[in-house]
Amino acid sequence: MPTSPEPLPIHVAIVEDAPDFRDALSRVVQAAPDMHLTGLAGTRVQGLTMLQGPPADVLLVDLGLPDGSGIDVIRAAVLLWPSCSIMVSTNFGDETHVMRSIEAGAAGYLLKDSSPARMIDEIRSLASGGSPISPIIARQVLARFRQNSPSSAGNSDALKKVADPATLLSVREKEVLDFITRGFTAQEIAKLMQLSPFTVRTFVRRIYSKLKVTSKTEAIYEARTLGLLGD
Amino acid sequence: MRHRPSSLFSYAVFVFSVALLIAVGIWYSEEDAAQPSTASLHLTQADWQVVEVPGFTTPPSTLDRKNLPSAWQHIMLPGTLPKAMAQPANAHADSHIQVTWIKLSTQGLAMPSGALVLYGIRVKVEGTIAVYVDGQLVRREQQQGQLWNSLFTPLWVVLERDANDAPPREILIRLEHTDASRVGLSSLWLGRAEALRGRYYLRQWLQRELPATLSAAFLLVGVFALFVWFKRRHETDYLLFFNLAAVSFVGHLHYYVGLPILNDWFAWLTANALFWLIMVLHLFLRQLHGRALTWLTCVVVGVTVLISVLTLPPLAILPIFPSTSVLVPLVYAIVMLMATTVCLAGGISAWHRSKEGRLVAICLGLSTLLGVPDWLLHNNVISPEGWFLGAYTNAVTFGIFGVLMYRRYINAINEVEQVNASLAQRLQAREAELEIIHQRLREAGQRQTISDERQRLMQDMHDGLGSSLISAIRSVERGGVSELKVSQILKDCLDDLKLTIDSMEPVEADLLLLLATLRFRLEPRLESTDITLLWEVQELPTLAWLEPSSALHILRIVQESIANILRHTRASEIKVGTALTVAGVQVTIADNGQGFDVDKALGASAGRGLHNQQRRAQAVDGIVSWQSGPTGTCFTLWLPLARQTHL
Repeated sequence: MPTSPEPLPIHVAIVEDAPDFRDALSRVVQAAPDMHLTGLAGTRVQGLTMLQGPPADVLLVDLGLPDGSGIDVIRAAVLLWPSCSIMVSTNFGDETHVMRSIEAGAAGYLLKDSSPARMIDEIRSLASGGSPISPIIARQVLARFRQNSPSSAGNSDALKKVADPATLLSVREKEVLDFITRGFTAQEIAKLMQLSPFTVRTFVRRIYSKLKVTSKTEAIYEARTLGLLGD
Repeated sequence: MRHRPSSLFSYAVFVFSVALLIAVGIWYSEEDAAQPSTASLHLTQADWQVVEVPGFTTPPSTLDRKNLPSAWQHIMLPGTLPKAMAQPANAHADSHIQVTWIKLSTQGLAMPSGALVLYGIRVKVEGTIAVYVDGQLVRREQQQGQLWNSLFTPLWVVLERDANDAPPREILIRLEHTDASRVGLSSLWLGRAEALRGRYYLRQWLQRELPATLSAAFLLVGVFALFVWFKRRHETDYLLFFNLAAVSFVGHLHYYVGLPILNDWFAWLTANALFWLIMVLHLFLRQLHGRALTWLTCVVVGVTVLISVLTLPPLAILPIFPSTSVLVPLVYAIVMLMATTVCLAGGISAWHRSKEGRLVAICLGLSTLLGVPDWLLHNNVISPEGWFLGAYTNAVTFGIFGVLMYRRYINAINEVEQVNASLAQRLQAREAELEIIHQRLREAGQRQTISDERQRLMQDMHDGLGSSLISAIRSVERGGVSELKVSQILKDCLDDLKLTIDSMEPVEADLLLLLATLRFRLEPRLESTDITLLWEVQELPTLAWLEPSSALHILRIVQESIANILRHTRASEIKVGTALTVAGVQVTIADNGQGFDVDKALGASAGRGLHNQQRRAQAVDGIVSWQSGPTGTCFTLWLPLARQTHL
């Protein structure tokens, strides 16, 4: 595999209840020369316990855990492992699951039927600050930001929200999302906007983090109630 | 809800209004009481005599009492003089015209100084009245005979005197009349105007002006009722009420008008108005208690019409006042009898049926009773200082009908309020019903949607996923299939499933977003091939009809098209484009493969894929077409901008 020699390996942790996929994923990560599997958890509780340990660079989380939702794990990881990129593993990459995860703090998603090579690519891209996106998700993100725009906001609370640049999309970011909804790939968009394909993916990461801001206070509150954070 | 003043404020307004009226009353009566009792003289002793004269004459301006006979007789005033054989001054015994002289002496009485006024409640005589003070004529009344309102107008004579004139010694009153009638005179007052004005005005007001005001008010209310009737023609109550007010007004006019009493149309009106009044009241009562009383009605109407006709001035078969015929009292007796009968019949009929009817019956009874003092006064049965209470029958009628109107008005307001309340309740009930219906419709709609969706998914699973899985199972069971092949079949199944899921994602009627999603799904498959995908799409208008079911058809059509290229051609390039055409949009998928015979493929049973595309295109009112040659194939899917029915 043509990878440039990395000074530090990517530390990957996995929270996944299906043993087959967990094993396959572990094997893929272990096989990659630039990656190091640092943790494995099969349940929500195990996942939360793992978060008390040293942080990984990439955390792969399944949403459907036997003892609860992976969303809890994502929220806890945002607070406990702030430097970690969280990736949700999903069967279909459908809007409902992915949007919820992004709002909770995930930076990307991994389709479970992806080829091993693609999985490694996605993890690597995520670790270096990029994020994947699908046309449907792009449309949903655009819609979410349109809701917050001044034209549709009537009350002062919403105005305060849009005044915060952290919750507004830049023109370029919007352009990227528009291209994606029309079916263009990251490479094509990069060519059209005269950027590198990697920059396009970092744009997506930035958009996701803006989407996350709105639900962050809620996350802190929930983490406190879960006892993950001291008062 | 309108703004309402607080109850405290309301009470304050009420107390203020009542206090205002009381204060005015007190102020007015104080004004009279302020005068000392010595300011006036009450004359109750008089002498009288009757002289036969040849005819009605103008009273002389001066008079010497010495020329009068000295056959004076004493009388206490007020009093009615007996019919007396006149002193035959001259030989005119057959003229039937008499002059009654009344002499009041004030000699030796303590007289207030200054200008004096002579005041008397009533002088009851049919001819001219002349008042002499110390032989000088000071006042002449009724030169043309008695006026209709004479009996209700007090006497008020100002005696013009200088301050140093001697006090009057004697007052002589000359009264002309026929020998058939009797003369009545109230006691007289002599005094300063300020001292007597209060008595005079009170008498004038209570006997004439108050009843006149009430009568006019009654007429006005009658006019109001008339206008109500104009708008509500079916409610004859209001018309009858107007009629009652009009008749009542006309019937009481003789209390106020200063016309001479003649045997004319006015007399006819005055006399007959009483009959009409009773008839109208009877008809009104009938409406209130709702009993026909056919016989009584016939009699009342018959008698009224008969008397009205017989007393018409041109016919004059029956005499009316001022005729002195003995038939006149008979006519009035009939009125009394009729009034009493109608009152009793109405009262009994309304007793348990109509409170309003009872009130009207009581009104009629009271009015009849009020007529009694009038009759007594006219026939000199009681003192000539009495009150003609008949003038107040109008007031009684007005009062009773005022109560009636008040009751109706209050009831109407209450009814409206009740109706409004029940309307609000009904509205609320209707809204609740409507809400339930809406709920049911929504539920039914939801059930329908769920059912449609289930059917769609079943159909899709059956045609796509189901058949793919079955063929995979068959292949595995037959054996000899490589694991790679099985894996490929299963991957196809998963792709199918993903498209089904994508079709349910919110694409917001955006065909481009749907195609983008398809490309996103196919990308991993294409990556493993050497084929280049050229994405040459244009912005498209939204397709309002694009729903999950139609979205799935479109996804499957395009998927099939690309799968065919991958499966059957050796193309190195696929070009996907979109364009806007007449009344629709068009998706083109072109490859640079070796092409195929379209007609043959469509004719062969092997062309199941193409037929599926055609069938699915038809399902969304679209058209699919192929143009194939040795340099490649161009597949076109045309879709309408709008569909007539897409359910």
